[in-house]
Amino acid sequence: MFFIIKIFVFFRRESKLFFTNITDLFSNIVFFFLSIFIFVFALGTDEQLLKTIGVGIIWSLLLLSSILSLRKFYEEDFNNGILVIIHMSGISYELLVFLKIISHFLFVQLPFLISLPIVSIFFNLPTNEVYNLIITFFIGSLILSCLGSISASMNLLNKTNFSLGGIVVLLFSIPLIIFSVGINNAESELIYLINLLIGIALIFLGIAPWSSAAFIKLAISNK
Amino acid sequence: MLLINDLSFYRNNNVIFDNVNISLANGQITQIKGKNGSGKTTLLKVILNIIEARSGEIFWEGKNIKKNIFNFYNQTTFISDQYTSSRKLTVYDNINFWKGLSYSQLNDNDILLLLGTFNLKKYQNTETMYLSAGEIKKLELLRLILEQKKLWILDEPYNHLDNLSIEILNQTFIDHVNNEGIILFTSHYNPPINKIDVIDFN
Amino acid sequence: MFGFLINPSKFNKLADIILRPLVFITSIILIMGLFLVYVSPLDYQQGLTVKIMYIHVPSAWLALLTYSIMTFYSILCLAFKIPFGFIINKAVAPIGATFTLLCLVSGSLWGKPMWGTWWVWDARLTSVAIMFLIYVIIIFLSQTFENREVREKTIAIFILIGSINLPIIKFSVDWWNTLHQPASISKLSSPSIDVSMLQPLIVMTIAFSLVGLIIAILRIKAEIIIRKNH
Repeated sequence: MFFIIKIFVFFRRESKLFFTNITDLFSNIVFFFLSIFIFVFALGTDEQLLKTIGVGIIWSLLLLSSILSLRKFYEEDFNNGILVIIHMSGISYELLVFLKIISHFLFVQLPFLISLPIVSIFFNLPTNEVYNLIITFFIGSLILSCLGSISASMNLLNKTNFSLGGIVVLLFSIPLIIFSVGINNAESELIYLINLLIGIALIFLGIAPWSSAAFIKLAISNK
Repeated sequence: MLLINDLSFYRNNNVIFDNVNISLANGQITQIKGKNGSGKTTLLKVILNIIEARSGEIFWEGKNIKKNIFNFYNQTTFISDQYTSSRKLTVYDNINFWKGLSYSQLNDNDILLLLGTFNLKKYQNTETMYLSAGEIKKLELLRLILEQKKLWILDEPYNHLDNLSIEILNQTFIDHVNNEGIILFTSHYNPPINKIDVIDFN
Repeated sequence: MFGFLINPSKFNKLADIILRPLVFITSIILIMGLFLVYVSPLDYQQGLTVKIMYIHVPSAWLALLTYSIMTFYSILCLAFKIPFGFIINKAVAPIGATFTLLCLVSGSLWGKPMWGTWWVWDARLTSVAIMFLIYVIIIFLSQTFENREVREKTIAIFILIGSINLPIIKFSVDWWNTLHQPASISKLSSPSIDVSMLQPLIVMTIAFSLVGLIIAILRIKAEIIIRKNH
């Protein structure tokens, strides 16, 4: 019972922080839109071309704009020591990372869902592709949150080379991109591919808490 | 009863401290003194097992804390010298968060009363980032009373405080010690409390 | 008996004994392998370029072997707190990166006469390229962190995450490849190999492994000395 209260309190704090920092989220979304515009400026307005490469562009830019929000994942909580306080209240670092991933998924990634239908209008995507995009993003953003947790916790240790965290996210998101974009081109059943994506998400949900917690413990003991 | 046995800590093969033995009985208040950079803060963190010790053992009420770490944390309040309150949340939100984390039994009236004694009542809906350093420190110290734990471990609790707050803090310490509580803190200031044990840490 | 695998001083002792004979044996096997490659028959389709295979295949194999050794030692040093694993990781990573690069470059040189381009977005090529990037990141990591303990543990954790991810990446790249270019696959699938070509291949693989082993021993010895002095 008390444990559930603790988790509830944690999420209440995260949601309050989210609403105080809501401009950050909007600036990420604006970054996403602007980069799409820039892509279209670079490629020209050939409708057929935009239709064929639309989903790929949207996914790559989603990935890049999600890297922007990574620095805030743990840094503030780590610097002011609240991670230790939360840990001392009886939550292991692994569970803490898991909760953080869920809150990042809810408060940072999911709001991007609103922007997806609007962006698909720009590319004249057919309706079924928009549905696929939304479904894959729903699962894929969970994977992105896990990767973000790994790279952000790695960056806690590293005060000079910030691009390293971004590299890690990009590297491990290769399967995600392949399956998410590939769903539209595949002849096979959609449901199998979605199951595959869910499987990858579960694998990352297994790896991320363990490795992030290890990085956080290292960072705390070497502060 | 906290017993620290032969605790040592090395960082990159440099000795930070070696063979530290401390025992804290119920109702005892202990101050750690030492030069800047002598490893006082590190010692507190090692005692709390936030940083792992190179060697040595720590016993809380007869049990090794490594095996019962959450049992130990459950009876401990640690106040570091950093500001653990979130800068973007209001004073009231911060207190509510700490309250939820520690199963505190205090209700809202008690909290308002507490805020009143520390002169923070007018700020209860202000974001922490607009408070001065001393006021944030007082807010942090509120956790001592809020969490109602037995063992208090504090890092530089007297920093930034004005004379009135120092008096209140000393009174709180004395009350806690009279209730069989245990206090361990680091400071350069000598509080006017009787029976204070001083460990010179160099 | 296998203490030298986890104990630096035992490793040093054994390395001092076997290093000279090992260099001798390796040079003999390498010369023998090169001779066998020289006399091996030409492929009726590929001609002389088939001999690139005798460099390409062993280096690909060794690149994978190096990564699995690193994974093994990462588990060892994280789970059982054996610091020798950190030494191995640091010493072996550049060797693996070199072999991966060798594999990529020789594959590219092989590909130019065969397929007409230096680079094809083939599944195997792409996943090897990604593995090369992982090696590069591991080397970056070893240059980034100032604190030695942090650096070593970070590398070990990263290697473990990578080893879980490599099969996923491999599988997804395979799937992506069938999706986009079904045509080029049949050309690249491994055909059954003739015995006259298998012999030099095996000898060359042994020679490459031994060369890698010698470099690894030298690097590990140097690493042990560096660690002692700090």
